[in-house]
Amino acid sequence: MRAPLPRLGVGLAYQAPLSAIFDAAPCDVDYVEVVPDIFWTDRGADAVPRHLDDDAGLARMRELHARMPVVPHSIGLSIGSAAHFDRDHIAQIERWRGRLDFPWHSDHLAFHLADHGGQRINAGITLPLARDRESLDLLAPRIREVQRSVPRPFLLENNVYYFDIDDGEMDEATFLNTLCRESGCGLLLDLHNLHTNALNHGFDPMAMLRALDLSNVGEIHVAGGMALDGFWLDAHSGAIPDEVWTLLDWTLPRCPNLGGVTFEVFGSWVESVGLARIREDLRRLRAAWARHLPAPAHPPIRAHAHEAHVAHACEAHA
Amino acid sequence: MSLAHFQDAMVRLILDPDFRDRVAAGDDVPGSELDARETARLQRIARDPGLGINRTLHKGFRLGKLRGLLPFTCRVLGTRRLCDELARFWRDHPPASFYFLPEAVDFCDWLVQRRLRLRYLDDVVAYERATLELERARTGPPPVQLVRFRHDPTALLAALSQGRRPRGIPERPCVAAARVDAQGKAVWTLHVRDAYNSTPSSDPPQAPHLVGATEVATRKVSPVT
Repeated sequence: MRAPLPRLGVGLAYQAPLSAIFDAAPCDVDYVEVVPDIFWTDRGADAVPRHLDDDAGLARMRELHARMPVVPHSIGLSIGSAAHFDRDHIAQIERWRGRLDFPWHSDHLAFHLADHGGQRINAGITLPLARDRESLDLLAPRIREVQRSVPRPFLLENNVYYFDIDDGEMDEATFLNTLCRESGCGLLLDLHNLHTNALNHGFDPMAMLRALDLSNVGEIHVAGGMALDGFWLDAHSGAIPDEVWTLLDWTLPRCPNLGGVTFEVFGSWVESVGLARIREDLRRLRAAWARHLPAPAHPPIRAHAHEAHVAHACEAHA
Repeated sequence: MSLAHFQDAMVRLILDPDFRDRVAAGDDVPGSELDARETARLQRIARDPGLGINRTLHKGFRLGKLRGLLPFTCRVLGTRRLCDELARFWRDHPPASFYFLPEAVDFCDWLVQRRLRLRYLDDVVAYERATLELERARTGPPPVQLVRFRHDPTALLAALSQGRRPRGIPERPCVAAARVDAQGKAVWTLHVRDAYNSTPSSDPPQAPHLVGATEVATRKVSPVT
């Protein structure tokens, strides 16, 4: 990663049923992470304009942005697709930077778009890339283009995979280290993905953590999951399991460029997990952050953005 | 383009169980488009139990979106019929986007073309399709939607919105018109297509999805009250 990220602290992935947490004062989170794609409609490559924002959703993000940083975590780029590289999507992310001036942004190290018979197919789930030189050569120039188009640090998330392409030229840690070094991107280290992959494929997650260059880690994801048909799923369906806390406690003090730790819970599971339990995990995350890293301090770029936002609001009401 | 073909084949393993089975058995590998390493990888993936998890997640996500967009249509179809029809529909309609409203509209059109002999289905499909058209992201206001009901829409939609499968809904041919008001809310106006009832009701229908409707015995769309 070419530049350290501002140290924000502990974040929560945005879901409408979590509004009580975001709107509380004092608030248990330092920033909100959002999948921006849910707040616009992509009408397809032939439509003009292609992307239409959801006014209500964007207004909600602006409201939150007045109180805390908003960090986009997109699902739409499919950066590993050999047949597609979606520059319109990157331009839409850049439009959102103009609106929310985020400190960094991220997407998934995977692909979900393919072509069949000239028709675009969206698998709807993130699929693994082969850990080969061919993949690195595909990804690195694309990452550099994202960085040129959206002048904020760009992170890619280590993928969860239920089947693996297990004869790659590199192991996963070597692949991630090489990708970050050659492209300049940062790593969004999803510890629940790592835990899930380790359980399903029978490897030691600590061995992979020890092999990773943790100076590349700009953000950490934590979450809970569930069992199905003999597999552990990255379902974002529960509180953070003990195994992930153990991974986090080892990792956190070893990431010198970390910007934040984000807790992910899907909205459909909020009721069964319970807001009280989610708050409990957020407070434990903040305690871990405070133990291992300096207190959150909003970076200058955020302060400028906030001042500009307030000034704009004042003008609008004058 | 070998990598693009490999990724296409990987996605097809998830979408198409027949293709998966043929690849796993070594009967169908697009060998001319893949190199030897990709071919071997594809066959290992086809035999990997983790592929089944991906298929379950893919189908669950797609089905969940459709049920959310077409709740009444899914209820009228019932679980078994819905699964049968979706299996047929999905065979010819691969998923194209994370945005499922166009797919839901296509499924409505496909169901109409199927001419299924299922009571209330045509009414409900037409109603939900119109609702989706009003919600579709577009740069201007959506066109007014007209829905021809064969059965009493008030009773039909009330039953469905209460989570019940409709039974014994009387025939009552009528037309409902829908538009979006200045606040972006759908406003429905109902009128009887023919002088089916000799005495027009002075009370607007109370179904929750026909808010503000006025019933008149005329072919014209009534002003919203």
